[in-house]
Amino acid sequence: MAETGNLSVPAARRSNGPGLWSNPVTWLRIAIIVGILAIWEATAASGLLYRDVVPSLLAIGRALAKLLSNPEYYWHLSVTAGEVGTGLVIGGLLGLTVGIAFGASKLLGKSFEPYLYYLGPTPKIIFFPIMIMWFGVGPGSKVAMGAISCFFPIALSAAAGMRQIDEVLIRVGRSFRASTSQMVMKIYLPAMRLPVVNGVRLGLGVAIIGTLLAETKLSNRGIGYLIIQAYSLFDMPSMYAMLIVLFIIAIGANALVGRIGRFDAIKQK
Amino acid sequence: MATNAAATTHASNDILVVDDIVKSFNTADGSLTAVDHVSLSVKQGEFMAVIGPSGCGKSTLFNVIGGLVDGYEGNVTVGGERVNGPHPSIGMVFQEESTFPWRTVTDNVAFPLEIAGMDKAQRYERARHFIALVGLDGFENRYPAELSGGMRQRVAIARTLASEPKILLMDEPFGALDEQTRLLLGDKVLQIQHQLKQTCLLITHNITEAVQLADRVLVMTYRPGKVKRIVDINLPRPRSSEIVSSEAFGRYVAQIWSDLREEASRGMRDEEQQRAGAHS
Ligand SMILES: Nc1ncnc2c1ncn2[C@@H]1O[C@H](COP(=O)(O)OP(=O)(O)OP(=O)(O)O)[C@@H](O)[C@H]1O
Ligand SMILES: [Mg+2]
Repeated sequence: MAETGNLSVPAARRSNGPGLWSNPVTWLRIAIIVGILAIWEATAASGLLYRDVVPSLLAIGRALAKLLSNPEYYWHLSVTAGEVGTGLVIGGLLGLTVGIAFGASKLLGKSFEPYLYYLGPTPKIIFFPIMIMWFGVGPGSKVAMGAISCFFPIALSAAAGMRQIDEVLIRVGRSFRASTSQMVMKIYLPAMRLPVVNGVRLGLGVAIIGTLLAETKLSNRGIGYLIIQAYSLFDMPSMYAMLIVLFIIAIGANALVGRIGRFDAIKQK
Repeated sequence: MATNAAATTHASNDILVVDDIVKSFNTADGSLTAVDHVSLSVKQGEFMAVIGPSGCGKSTLFNVIGGLVDGYEGNVTVGGERVNGPHPSIGMVFQEESTFPWRTVTDNVAFPLEIAGMDKAQRYERARHFIALVGLDGFENRYPAELSGGMRQRVAIARTLASEPKILLMDEPFGALDEQTRLLLGDKVLQIQHQLKQTCLLITHNITEAVQLADRVLVMTYRPGKVKRIVDINLPRPRSSEIVSSEAFGRYVAQIWSDLREEASRGMRDEEQQRAGAHS
């Protein structure tokens, strides 16, 4: 029992290092945050910078409390979350389909993938005027921006994931006479799960950026809109408060997707 | 129809007939013939082994019989029916590691049943039966990464058996294993074959394994792979791995080795020349 014990799944997870609170890294990380806050507060108190550019922590805290107790804020938050989510689903499904097709067919991959590579890193905001024309000034164009943004990393990682599938597993599926849809659902997708999860992770990040950026440009709702409005009213404390909430949400979402990936990594080892 | 005539000249209890297969590949330096006019037939319930030096075209022949490649000359027929793509009567066990790493042992073994649309309870029950047959009971919920190489190969065999093929086609299933494990797994395969009256075609480059398991051993030449000789193994059944120390066993091994040595050394010379050519 003892020797099978260290092969078992939970043991593998535990052996990542010393416990959270006895790890010096944890303390260093906390020290960094405390240090930054101290410098921030000192700068705010010194009055060196123009008025509210660096508001005091207390002001930010008050703004944060006001923000979180305002139901309207949650409405805007849900608008943005809905746009990002819908964009991720649309862009993700398209990316996955295109990626699988490019990975499966040498001809398609060779002909079209260079375009993905070159379009991938260009700032998608250049498409925003076109998206406004196609989908209007409402949430439609923001969803489109989110979808376009996450399409590229997801398509590229799906194509790469498709190509790294162990070829013998495909022959196993064929030898049991699996249909095309069974091949996709039971072999291709599970075999490329790790690269795809990574792609979705990158995709989520750029979908948030794309949607928010579009909201700051032209909209009347959503977090991007609120931030740009706070900026134009020079309400710096609320702007920082909203950025803090945004950071926390982004970190949480990323950790969530990452957790799915890590869970798989442990299971497959 | 010339092809049908060829097939019907074989005895009616030949369940698998491989008729005059030629398979070539286009490579950077011209066409390479991997399998050259190979014919063989396997009777119902028979265990046949195909042995040959590395690179002689065994896996190519395996893929042709399994219906996984096309673009070859000749015919493969199963029960008189021409193989055109993977045939339901043929179950394949591959040379490479082939378990699905994201599936447990049970879900791996149940895979062909899942493909066939069997419901969950029923296919798990069947899977458990075949897991027990290869001696892996107790490991049902493990993932392949948690098993040894020999255990993973047994999972692959159980998975193929679960599809209940009329013909079990195996390509060096124990190639990556150590000698002891190989002998013991050989025993397991013999037991299963005896129990299920399974028709088997085993591809191997291991003489001991071929003689231990087979009723007939087909020796292939080095590239291009032709049939050099077919040796009948008249050892009593049921057999076990203890047989490898018997005198009769030794004679068969010596006989096959003398055939194979010629081919293997020809192969080595060939490869050395190729290397020398590449360096100059
Ligand atoms: N898809 C392919 N394209 C080109 N050449 C190939 C291909 N598959 C096999 N060959 C060549 O055909 C020959 C026979 O290969 P094959 O894999 O059938 O040999 P083998 O007898 O199974 O060898 P081993 O015992 O090492 O598994 C080799 O020279 C190999 O390089
Ligand atoms: Mg081979």
